[in-house]
Amino acid sequence: MSEKPVLAKIIDTTTCIGCKACEVACQEWNDQEFTISGLGGDYQTQPDVTHNFWNLIKFNEESDDDQMSWLMAKYQCMHCADPGCLKACPAPGAIVVLDNGIVDFNQDNCIGCGYCITGCPFDIPRLNPQTNKVYKCTLCSDRTEVGLQPACIKACPTSCLTFGTRSELLQKAEDRSQELQDDGIKTAGVYNPIGVGGTNVLYVLAHADRPEAYGLPKDPKIPWAVWFWKSPLKWFGNLILIGGILGTFVHYLRYGPKNYQDEND
Amino acid sequence: MTERRIERFSFIERMMHWLAALSFLYAALTGLALWSHRLYWLAAVFGGGETVRGWHPWGGIVFTLTIGYMFQNWARQMKLDREDLQWLRRAHRYAIHDDKDLPEANKFNAGQKLLFWVQSVATILLLFSGTVLWWPHSMSQDFRLLAILIHPISAILSIGAIIVHIYMGTAAVPGAFRGMIQGWVRPEWASSHHPKWFREILKR
Repeated sequence: MSEKPVLAKIIDTTTCIGCKACEVACQEWNDQEFTISGLGGDYQTQPDVTHNFWNLIKFNEESDDDQMSWLMAKYQCMHCADPGCLKACPAPGAIVVLDNGIVDFNQDNCIGCGYCITGCPFDIPRLNPQTNKVYKCTLCSDRTEVGLQPACIKACPTSCLTFGTRSELLQKAEDRSQELQDDGIKTAGVYNPIGVGGTNVLYVLAHADRPEAYGLPKDPKIPWAVWFWKSPLKWFGNLILIGGILGTFVHYLRYGPKNYQDEND
Repeated sequence: MTERRIERFSFIERMMHWLAALSFLYAALTGLALWSHRLYWLAAVFGGGETVRGWHPWGGIVFTLTIGYMFQNWARQMKLDREDLQWLRRAHRYAIHDDKDLPEANKFNAGQKLLFWVQSVATILLLFSGTVLWWPHSMSQDFRLLAILIHPISAILSIGAIIVHIYMGTAAVPGAFRGMIQGWVRPEWASSHHPKWFREILKR
């Protein structure tokens, strides 16, 4: 049996027109009940992703030389190769990496602890306080499973969004950024942060030197505290636990109880 | 013969102690279920992952309240004095039953006092970090990162100390368990393990 290719998508921010078709398609396909979570006083649908809104175009405003421009960037789960959410999750099977590379949340196994929120360097998972489960973009795992494109890709009118195998798309993203550089945008590049092992959501940015301008973290990594908690601290804790139980037992065998003189006991 | 019995812990003290023990056991075991995937089977024992996530904090709240009672009840007697520090420096000799150079213990020996302070500090840390972990989505990321470190560190401290405490209270010091269950000890036990306390009692 051949291994399934890892799937990916490209978000080419240079051709995004902010039409929000991807947002609507996401809401429709995932059958989300839309509730306004607040307005930011701009064109953005809402300030941030929420448990029932997984795909948000951020209308990042920028002004230089008296000119205002939008650095629009669709924001959602990045489907990291080394997912911080998974590292932090205590419930086996609640977060799974499918063999096509999709990082999927299985709400049946989710216990609602919210550790994935802490583990995610992109601040994506959101807890639904009604169901006490965490939700995020699934990369339409229910569609890709049967060979369909994710809903957002299907709806995009400018081909700013592309879907395919990761190896193929990495090349495509590089080609596109080369094309932009040839056109004079010297800062163009691909956003595929290595701190999380690369992501299955790839961006083509005109200003790849400063992803923060798009609302993307500059050098995302699984938080240091999460690593420390799940590696050295865990071993230390297990040592104390097992060492404590064995140690007291061995002490009893070697030294026995502390006696006192009382013939009546 | 009533003279053969010395009251060690009152009814309310014993009630609180065993309430603390039960809530600690519950919080520790449900906490361990979420500590490692290998221990997740413990979650099934306690009604499943969601139940554990929902009730573990309440176990912690009950434990905190019992610790609060013990704190106001015993804090004064638990002050570590010069002799206690001497005792702690020679604790390894206590462990091998070579007690002749150890300062005489009052109602609580220096080891018990240390346990008291370890649990008091650990409980405060567990309470604050636990509050953050209880409602992670209403906390800042910095608080959450701090909490996922402080909560397990103080839990390890607390559980480690309790393992020794349970051992000392049962197998290692015969007669001590009855003090916490039935509430009384033999005079010989008191004069051997807590001579200062024993003399105080005789004076009364």
